[in-house]
Amino acid sequence: MAVIELNDLTKNYGKNRGIKNVSFSVEEGEIFGFIGPNGSGKSTTIRTLLNYIYPSSGMAAIFGKDIVRDSLTIRRHTGYLPAEVYYYDDMRAGELLRYSQSFYGKNNNKRIAELAERLDLELNKKIEDLSSGNKKKVAIIQALAHEPKLLILDEPTGGLDPLMQNTFFRILREEKQKNTTIFLSSHILSEVQRICDRVAIIKEGEIIKVEVIEALIRNQFKKITIILANDQHQDLAIEGVIKQERLGNRVHLLYGGKIKALINNLKDLDIKDLFIEEPTLDEIFMHYYEK
Amino acid sequence: MLIFNREFRRNLKMLIIWSVIISGLMILTLSAFPEVVKQQKAIDQIIKGMPTALIKAFDMDVLNISDALGYYATKGYIMITLFGAIYAVMLGGNILSKEHSEKTIEFLLSKPVLRSNVITQKLLAVFVNVMLFNLIVAAANYIGFKSVDATIDFKVFASLTAAPLMLHLLFAAISFFLSSSLKKSRNAMPISLGLVFVMYFLYIVAGIADKYAKIKYVSPFEYVNAADIIINKGLDTIYMSIMVGVIIISIFATYIVYRKKDITI
Repeated sequence: MAVIELNDLTKNYGKNRGIKNVSFSVEEGEIFGFIGPNGSGKSTTIRTLLNYIYPSSGMAAIFGKDIVRDSLTIRRHTGYLPAEVYYYDDMRAGELLRYSQSFYGKNNNKRIAELAERLDLELNKKIEDLSSGNKKKVAIIQALAHEPKLLILDEPTGGLDPLMQNTFFRILREEKQKNTTIFLSSHILSEVQRICDRVAIIKEGEIIKVEVIEALIRNQFKKITIILANDQHQDLAIEGVIKQERLGNRVHLLYGGKIKALINNLKDLDIKDLFIEEPTLDEIFMHYYEK
Repeated sequence: MLIFNREFRRNLKMLIIWSVIISGLMILTLSAFPEVVKQQKAIDQIIKGMPTALIKAFDMDVLNISDALGYYATKGYIMITLFGAIYAVMLGGNILSKEHSEKTIEFLLSKPVLRSNVITQKLLAVFVNVMLFNLIVAAANYIGFKSVDATIDFKVFASLTAAPLMLHLLFAAISFFLSSSLKKSRNAMPISLGLVFVMYFLYIVAGIADKYAKIKYVSPFEYVNAADIIINKGLDTIYMSIMVGVIIISIFATYIVYRKKDITI
């Protein structure tokens, strides 16, 4: 069953960046990454899904319910972690979390204490005295405490140190075990690569690709490094080369064609060394972004 | 009632400060009343010597200063209407826009709560605060009158209490509407504050200069004019209906606009 389903969702923001005919779906229990550079429409999509803003056209459903008409029901079973955290300065962390939970009519003090312990957060501190990383922890707890069926995370790791990121990812994997669906946006590709099952790539408000992570990395692209014997300056005009970079006698290629064709083209060159590797997501996306 | 409870607690300090200061001023003003009666003759002389425009502006031509309610109307009443209106717009203009300017609205609306419910609870908090403020000040006035052994017409006293309450609710409702509909919602408070001062200014100008007398119908301060209330021994039905109408329209418009508003942070 699709937990999130977008059909030609469009939001025009006057002259500002919006989103255009965005369509994809997120299945139950998967961790779905949503990547794109800053200002590409990630937050606009999330804000529309949560009904902060109204779609201009198209529609979207969460749990099979309309995001505008049934927003209240959707929000009852959704946890949202914003990219930047803004809370009431006069409250203490624990107070904020109790206030947050009271909206769900649940008492989750045990889970709050447990998460605070794992994330190493002091609940009796005033919000205004918390660092941005610690505010983020409060936000993580308020998103998770009511055990939502869907987590929407907007740039979730910003402000967390690497150790905390590990803890956070471990918590997310546990959530996945419980069949929670996770939708996370990011511009940090390594974190998406680490945790997501599938990704959608958005650029200038439009979806470029929806792909299983492995397929994106393995099936299509190779990172090739050729070290030439001498500083010869011939162009490697091979079909399927997406990106070419030359540093002295080193040639870096991002290659999307057939390996056999590549070897045929290289066989006449005086090559000292050759590396064929899996590219990282960053290298693949640099290509998408630059176009 | 989570949001109401929180707002009530958060605004309690301001309610106490405003109520205590205005109540104190009222009691202080009324405690001077016996002295005024004693020096009536001297004061009559002073008033006669004042420019007629000034006398008219403060309704000293129609009100008898040696009557307790008349004295109150010229001295204390205007403080309650004006300062209370300032308090009301600060409250009404801030309670929702604070969530927007501090971006906490993102947190609030990610919880399972309808926007209309947010409006209802915040409006209720504003109205309850304004009513409590007026109740406390009215109690202080009553104590003030009793302490100087003044005999007062209870109906006129009740009208002089109800009229400022209406005025405050009116300004609170308008400023709340502005904060829900303006794109930059933090501008709602300064704009409404400006509106209060402009209206007050128009009321005073209309009182001083006969040729501007018609302007007074624009200003809600005229609708709650103490002199009229004392002379007619009650509230003007048409003025009160206009105020109730504007309050209701502001509230309805708030719900309609805010439900469909794009919340951009």
